[in-house]
Amino acid sequence: MPDVNRILVIGGGFSGLTTAVDAAETGAEVIVVEKNPYLGGRVAQLNKYFPKLCPPLCGLEINFRRIKTNANIAFHTMAEVESISGGPGDYNVTIKANPRYVNDNCVACNACAEACPAERPNDYNFGMNTSKAAYLPFNQAFPQKYVIDANYCKGDCGKACLDACKYNAIDLDMKPEAINIKVDSIVAATGWNPYDAKKMDNLGFGNVKNVITNMMMERLSAPNGPTGGKIIRPSDGKPVQSIAFVQCAGSRDEKHLPFCSYICCLASLKQTTYIREQNPDSKAYIFYIDIRTPGRYEKFFWKVKEDQNVSLIKGKVAKITQDVDSDDVIVEAEDMLTGNKIRTKVDMVVLATGMEPAGASNKVKGVKYNDDGFALAGPGIFPTGCSKNPMDVARSGQDATGAVIKAIAAGNFKGQGR
Amino acid sequence: MAEKVISPDLKFVKEVIASGGGDLKKCYQCSTCTVVCNVTPDTKPFPRKEMLYAQWGMKDKLISNPDIWLCHQCSDCTAYCPRGAKPGEVLGAVRKVSIKHYSPTPLASMVGDPKFLLILLAIPVLLFLSYIVPKGYLDFSAIPRGENGAIVYAKFMPVFPNIDVTFGAAALFAVVCFAVGIMKYWKEMTVNAGLTKWGMAAKGNIFETIYKTIVEIMAHKRFQKCNVTKARSTSHLMVFYAFIGLAITTTWAIVYLYGHEFLSIPKIGIFNFGESPYPLYDPMKLLGNASALALLIGITLVILNRMKNASKAGIGSYFDWLFLFVVFMIMATGIFSEVFRLLNIAGLAYPTYFTHLVFVFFLFAYAPFSKMAHMVYRATAMVFAKHVQREEQS
Repeated sequence: MPDVNRILVIGGGFSGLTTAVDAAETGAEVIVVEKNPYLGGRVAQLNKYFPKLCPPLCGLEINFRRIKTNANIAFHTMAEVESISGGPGDYNVTIKANPRYVNDNCVACNACAEACPAERPNDYNFGMNTSKAAYLPFNQAFPQKYVIDANYCKGDCGKACLDACKYNAIDLDMKPEAINIKVDSIVAATGWNPYDAKKMDNLGFGNVKNVITNMMMERLSAPNGPTGGKIIRPSDGKPVQSIAFVQCAGSRDEKHLPFCSYICCLASLKQTTYIREQNPDSKAYIFYIDIRTPGRYEKFFWKVKEDQNVSLIKGKVAKITQDVDSDDVIVEAEDMLTGNKIRTKVDMVVLATGMEPAGASNKVKGVKYNDDGFALAGPGIFPTGCSKNPMDVARSGQDATGAVIKAIAAGNFKGQGR
Repeated sequence: MAEKVISPDLKFVKEVIASGGGDLKKCYQCSTCTVVCNVTPDTKPFPRKEMLYAQWGMKDKLISNPDIWLCHQCSDCTAYCPRGAKPGEVLGAVRKVSIKHYSPTPLASMVGDPKFLLILLAIPVLLFLSYIVPKGYLDFSAIPRGENGAIVYAKFMPVFPNIDVTFGAAALFAVVCFAVGIMKYWKEMTVNAGLTKWGMAAKGNIFETIYKTIVEIMAHKRFQKCNVTKARSTSHLMVFYAFIGLAITTTWAIVYLYGHEFLSIPKIGIFNFGESPYPLYDPMKLLGNASALALLIGITLVILNRMKNASKAGIGSYFDWLFLFVVFMIMATGIFSEVFRLLNIAGLAYPTYFTHLVFVFFLFAYAPFSKMAHMVYRATAMVFAKHVQREEQS
């Protein structure tokens, strides 16, 4: 029997996809397990990404195509790892695949969504709009297959889809499925979640109108987002003319995320360019402790800093309140360079919330984690990307390539006591 | 660019750290503390700059600054500090060092240091023993009784000269120490304000400013701006008014005793001019007992609040707890002295009363060096801040 290297990749975001494609192209067999109904993870939710500030779907599409054309890659969406047993070279993994209620006959014609009577909060857009309970996660989603959200499609709601579908693609009797596989090694690419901004009770998220998070800002700016890319504030649709970015919203804070999330300074600088390009008269205020733009990203910081309408204020925002007689927001900080407390009134506030590793809220059984929820390496188990450390997309790609080498090595040397 | 040389006072940094500011060095100057602080002025707010001064050992800038006392240790800063640097506790430690700096005797170092506690207690113990041992009063049966064999503390420890001369001298000592301290503090604040320029020209009548400050203190307006330790404004208010009640009681008792002694004022109705003990219905006695009870409840609440808020606000230092302990002991022994006297249990009454006197002496004589001094320095700082318009006259 030819000894093929078999690798499980947990997570189908940028790190997981890179791992899968790189490993498969060396001849390894790869199984990707993704919790969402689509691949691409957090990157698929971005408007633009570093280093070239292009829309991330072009980058993702290249990977999707490599997956489609490579027989060595199998993937399961809406699936999670239930258990891991055994050891390097001989891992037994149980995967639970949840029902999509839509089979491979789906041609993404949208008939089910049109017919569907129920709506659900659109989690792809962080709840800023709704979608039908029968939905395609976003226009370029891969796989291009609809999903029925059973939590919002109850009773005979599903029957409307069934009647509308001409391709026999709706299967309301689908059940959760357990899939058992054997692999030589495991790469944990479980990624991250935006830190829950409600946990900072002084920053007003959820109580003060027009306070959003940086990931919401990505969706708000994206052409396939809830506003078609128009940066307007949620409460009344007013085009945003003044915006405040609150850095370290949760990061570098022992009560929240006791580490620097690496990307938030760059994200805010990037989002500053979104608003400045869209509204030429707009003003942006960035409140920071330290601006951290590692390596060559420093140049991007210089570029944004040159803009006369961008103010960088050294001092952390620690109080956010609603203006008394408008939907405007007041942010309060000490401008440390003048040494005075200031209150700045803006149309909208973006909290630069940090990266909480997925392991903080959802641990894969059999994978080890540190106290903050970052995944740790074990024998034949290799964490990569933001599951093990906050990092940007480019570094995630590099890191994934490193994980591929380790995973292949673990498979090659099985049975040799290594 | 003008060169500015900062010479850090490392001894001062170490002292602040040892006095309860142990997490000082964790501060990374994000200024969350100044923003969540509801009692700071908007211009040159605290405590972020104080954290920097303390880290760099800039003692002069810190302790000759009214801001360290404008802080009421709400601990909102400590609760929100992302680094656990506990600015509220650091400023508490700085205040302790400041009290020591302005108090002119070696006692200042001793009160804040647990290893001198026994010596400090031994002073009043030996003093009071010297009054009773020669009379053989260690044998309680030798102590003369009042009518119907009632316990009369004045026969155990005569009000004059033993009590009044001792406490009069202790109080006078405290007043002199305080006067020297606040004069020095005021002078240094003036110099410092001139240097840092935020002391715009002093305006208005100083007496009016003092009056306004007293009104503000009486209402505890600043305490009520605290969030995390909001409940503290009530317990502190209770302690505050109980102390005022007890001060009035004490003065009243002096009037009773010496009014009778020197002016021969007789008992008038319910007003029992003359020697103690006074009957429970006497208004002076009523006020005293009510104040004592209020103080006991107040100080207990202060202690409970501190323990309840410890995880958010910090537990406090030896300096804080010594003060709370002394006040608590005064009240507990005071109330039990009265109870045991009324129950006529000599074996408990005399030792309890003796302990009571020891702790009252502790509070009075060591006031300028203990946390009790906060009332004098904080009031001075508040007057100064108003005077130089550090904060708007309200």
